[in-house]
Amino acid sequence: MRQAVILAALALLPGIGEAIYFRDKVSWQSPIPASEMVTLTQARAWNGNTIWVDARPDAEFEREHIPGAVLLNEDRWNELLPQFLDSWSPEKRVVVYCSSQSCNASREVARRLRDEAQLKNVFVLQGGWEEWLKSRK
Amino acid sequence: MAQIPKVKFVWRIADVIVGGMFIYAGAIKALDPVRFATDIDNYKILPWFISGRLAFYLPWLEIFCGIALITRRLYLGGLSILTALACVFTVATIAAKMRGLDITCGCFGHASQHWSFSGHLALDLVILAALLTLYFKVASENRLQNAV
Repeated sequence: MRQAVILAALALLPGIGEAIYFRDKVSWQSPIPASEMVTLTQARAWNGNTIWVDARPDAEFEREHIPGAVLLNEDRWNELLPQFLDSWSPEKRVVVYCSSQSCNASREVARRLRDEAQLKNVFVLQGGWEEWLKSRK
Repeated sequence: MAQIPKVKFVWRIADVIVGGMFIYAGAIKALDPVRFATDIDNYKILPWFISGRLAFYLPWLEIFCGIALITRRLYLGGLSILTALACVFTVATIAAKMRGLDITCGCFGHASQHWSFSGHLALDLVILAALLTLYFKVASENRLQNAV
């Protein structure tokens, strides 16, 4: 028991150090800052000014996707990113979705679009593809 | 008589493999704690307030416990913590599946992103079995030493 406590305490030190280092890169109150989330209603209201990005695997995209959506997943990021950028323009808002509220592919793709592709106006669709399906019923 | 050092050697190898695996898994997650935080959050067991903070702590706990197994310092403590963690991961994986969550376990960072549920579970159970084997082996050694 004493040994476990020592190890648990030792691990706290680098953990705290890393948390301080990353303090500006993580949102401590919510997994996605509210400013980076968008509801389906909001995204639809943007109308023609939206690029839908499907972050799900290829097979799911091929089965069905939001009309006009562009496939951009992490499996084939390098291959798909140029295709996405061809359809992108600075005035458009990018809305990324994956299968459901609990998946994290959309968060990752949105993060990479912001960090690696240096894009602004990138949002994650709340509820993802499931929410889109519900809205069709 | 030559059998005894050979058996000991096999156990040491097992320590190094299990310890090394946790060091590797911890290091991958420590390099990208933000991603690991979202992986924990996907299980929908803990509020973000906790999972966001755990993501900075758990990887280092795994690394320290892995080192404890390899160096045999604080060995039993490391083994106990890792066994408890493996139990929690296994239960959380099963619970997530039962609730129909589409999760990535995050066990080995990005490498494990597309593992199936059965893949996650098999790995969790293999790790748990290895840890329990090491644990019972040490416990029986301690009992023998105490008896002598």
